[in-house]
Amino acid sequence: MRARDAFDLSLGALRAHRLRSVLTALGIAVGIAAVILLTSIGAGIHQFVVSEFTQFGTNLIEINPGKAKTHGAAVGMFGIVRPLGLEDAQALRHAAGVEAVVPVVQGNAEVRAAGRTRRTAVLGVNAAFPDVFRYRVATGRFLPADDETTARSLAVLGSKLRAELYGAENPLGSRIRIGGARYRVVGVMQPKGQMLGFDLDDVVYIPAARSLEMFNRESLMAIDVSYRAGASPERVVASLRAILMQRHGREDFTVTPQKQMLDTLGSVLDVLTFAVGALGGISLLVGAVGIVTITTIAVSERAAEIGLLRALGARRAQVMAIFLGEAMLLAALGGAAGLALGAGLGQALRLALPALPVHTPWDFVVLAEAAAVGIGLVAGALPARRAARLDPVEALRAE
Amino acid sequence: MRPGDVFGFSAQSLAAHPSRTALTMLAISIGVAAVVVLTALGEAARTYVIDQFSSLGSHLLIVFPGRTETSGTFPGALTGATPRDLTLDDALSLARERTVRRVAPLTIGSALVSWGRRSREGAVLGSRLQRWEIRHFAMAQGRFLPALDARQARPVVVLGSVVRDELFGPANAVGEWVRIGERRYRVAGVLAPQGQSLGFNTDELVIVPVASAQALFNQASLLRVLVEARSREDIAAAKQAVIETLKARHEGEQDVTVVTQDALLATFDRILRALTLAVGGIAAISLAVAGILIMNVMLIAVSQRTREIGLLKALGATPAQIRRLFFAEALLLSVAGALAGLVLGEAGSYAIGKLYPMLPVVAPAWAAGAALATALATGVVFTAVPARRAARLDPVLALYRR
Repeated sequence: MRARDAFDLSLGALRAHRLRSVLTALGIAVGIAAVILLTSIGAGIHQFVVSEFTQFGTNLIEINPGKAKTHGAAVGMFGIVRPLGLEDAQALRHAAGVEAVVPVVQGNAEVRAAGRTRRTAVLGVNAAFPDVFRYRVATGRFLPADDETTARSLAVLGSKLRAELYGAENPLGSRIRIGGARYRVVGVMQPKGQMLGFDLDDVVYIPAARSLEMFNRESLMAIDVSYRAGASPERVVASLRAILMQRHGREDFTVTPQKQMLDTLGSVLDVLTFAVGALGGISLLVGAVGIVTITTIAVSERAAEIGLLRALGARRAQVMAIFLGEAMLLAALGGAAGLALGAGLGQALRLALPALPVHTPWDFVVLAEAAAVGIGLVAGALPARRAARLDPVEALRAE
Repeated sequence: MRPGDVFGFSAQSLAAHPSRTALTMLAISIGVAAVVVLTALGEAARTYVIDQFSSLGSHLLIVFPGRTETSGTFPGALTGATPRDLTLDDALSLARERTVRRVAPLTIGSALVSWGRRSREGAVLGSRLQRWEIRHFAMAQGRFLPALDARQARPVVVLGSVVRDELFGPANAVGEWVRIGERRYRVAGVLAPQGQSLGFNTDELVIVPVASAQALFNQASLLRVLVEARSREDIAAAKQAVIETLKARHEGEQDVTVVTQDALLATFDRILRALTLAVGGIAAISLAVAGILIMNVMLIAVSQRTREIGLLKALGATPAQIRRLFFAEALLLSVAGALAGLVLGEAGSYAIGKLYPMLPVVAPAWAAGAALATALATGVVFTAVPARRAARLDPVLALYRR
């Protein structure tokens, strides 16, 4: 028997019981569709989170005071015996490959302007902030490059804060009170949106030295460093570490390249996507049981046909191949239908809920189809073996 | 035909094809077991998180320094400093409120802890938790911080087990002097190892009195203040009182955020409940697949038993009776499969519970019931088409065809 004949025989058998074949394939299709849809949502969320973090640029390194960490956050942000100062930030500017350095102090204060007040986030930074974090100024300009330890009392508003305090008026040049001290507004930033529940536009930027004073702190909460695109991050980290070690005498700080953070995040999200896909896989397993059942029934129904084939000289391997081919064909057809269904549902979901990120990765699609064929192979194995083992004489008598 | 006869008949026809029956049952039981195990896991995660929160004490309020007017911001995002500190005196003033039972100020920071020539960077927690019964803080050696006035900066410390092991090795820690930052503290006790708990790895913690921590880090502000209300009814009044008092002390400016434990719990509860439902729902898709299989098997049975049906009809069976026969068969199949699945699911949950003793893995009764009901419903719904087909057979043709 040629391979083509065996294939035709399998296809013919499937065609003879059209409804039965469609239902069996449908079982696999539902399973594959579930897997594809769920992993699409998982992969979409992965992409979304990564883009949330990379909107600030990719060659960033953060330095926090203190070495101890709990739950991924450096405890040193809250209190520290050995502070990370403005001078440290200035010294880091000379590290290898470094483009710009931003000291960061974050806080919360009451802002008063034009007769209105609002409690908002205060970010103490320096002139390099827009370049490092890819922010754009809408009107006016950002904080000037003053001497950082004696910076002037100038402030830049986030777009939401500006709208809340000034409405349609022009804030440039006006006086504003932040945490009781007087500042002059020199610029307004372009809107940046939200990130993980934190409104990036409801914020006021002031020089880091001023914010240390305002919050009565010695230590910066973080120093963010951007390095040149070509520089190797390992070398930059080593250089940063060496400079701080020299200044502090020991390692009482934490250096985290953004890449490392993204990798950790990515691996967590990959595990999640996999877990969700595995949940969908339960349906696939049930679909596989369906193939086993239907093929088993087919073998017992077609005992006479098998007996005839064997009597005509078909070998056991050939009989086995026919039934295996049938199971695989069923699974492959079901898988293809499931792919179409899953991808279609994904697209529909994207149209219905634009907020939910959906992304169907092509390697998953190929993998899922391969898995479907594999399932057909495994599910068909037992019934096919039973068919091959039939005694031709007994099988013919079953007629 | 009496119901007993109907079921006897169906049971016989199921028994006639043991492998087919077993496989269909397997499909149903996989679906039911998946639903049971996954909802059990979801419920376990929910009770675990809620337990962890409740173990801090009931009727709790958490006071954060700072406040933003952007709605929807999770309070955890408020990490920054404020111009006016939330001071120890602020915290203690709250204890005078009628609706407040007790107050625990908290602060945290990072410092080098050393003994002899060994040193280690540790998270230093300043607290006044002495009598505040927190279940996680079981002592391995010595005692917890002594009861003293919150303003007193006594040089005593309690070490987490990992910190103790790394600094002291086999030596005895209790009673020794360790150096934290530039100051010296006497070790009062060592915490029993207990691992991660709500983001704090207590094994790597170093706990000192709150005033000592403030002196160590040279800061006047607190990270959080935990306030316990006198009773459940007092929570709202206590929240109002806390805000009013702090506003009065802060020159009329409201610069704190007060979150009730209930609100926090309710948020977690909602999220985890939705997650459990979603996971259970995904698992339930497999029940639909099992339903398709039942339909398929029933269709095959109808075509295989054409003659039998023809004979029944020739003997005077009505279409409704024929339908009932097939429905009874489907019911038997799905009940047996679902029961097997329940047993499998409970066994799986039990095994997971044994593997992770800290998770109380118990399938909720509603999930088991829902899985059972879904299995039965799919069995009956998917049999509708084959049963109708059987009932519509023409007896003459059915008997004529072999």
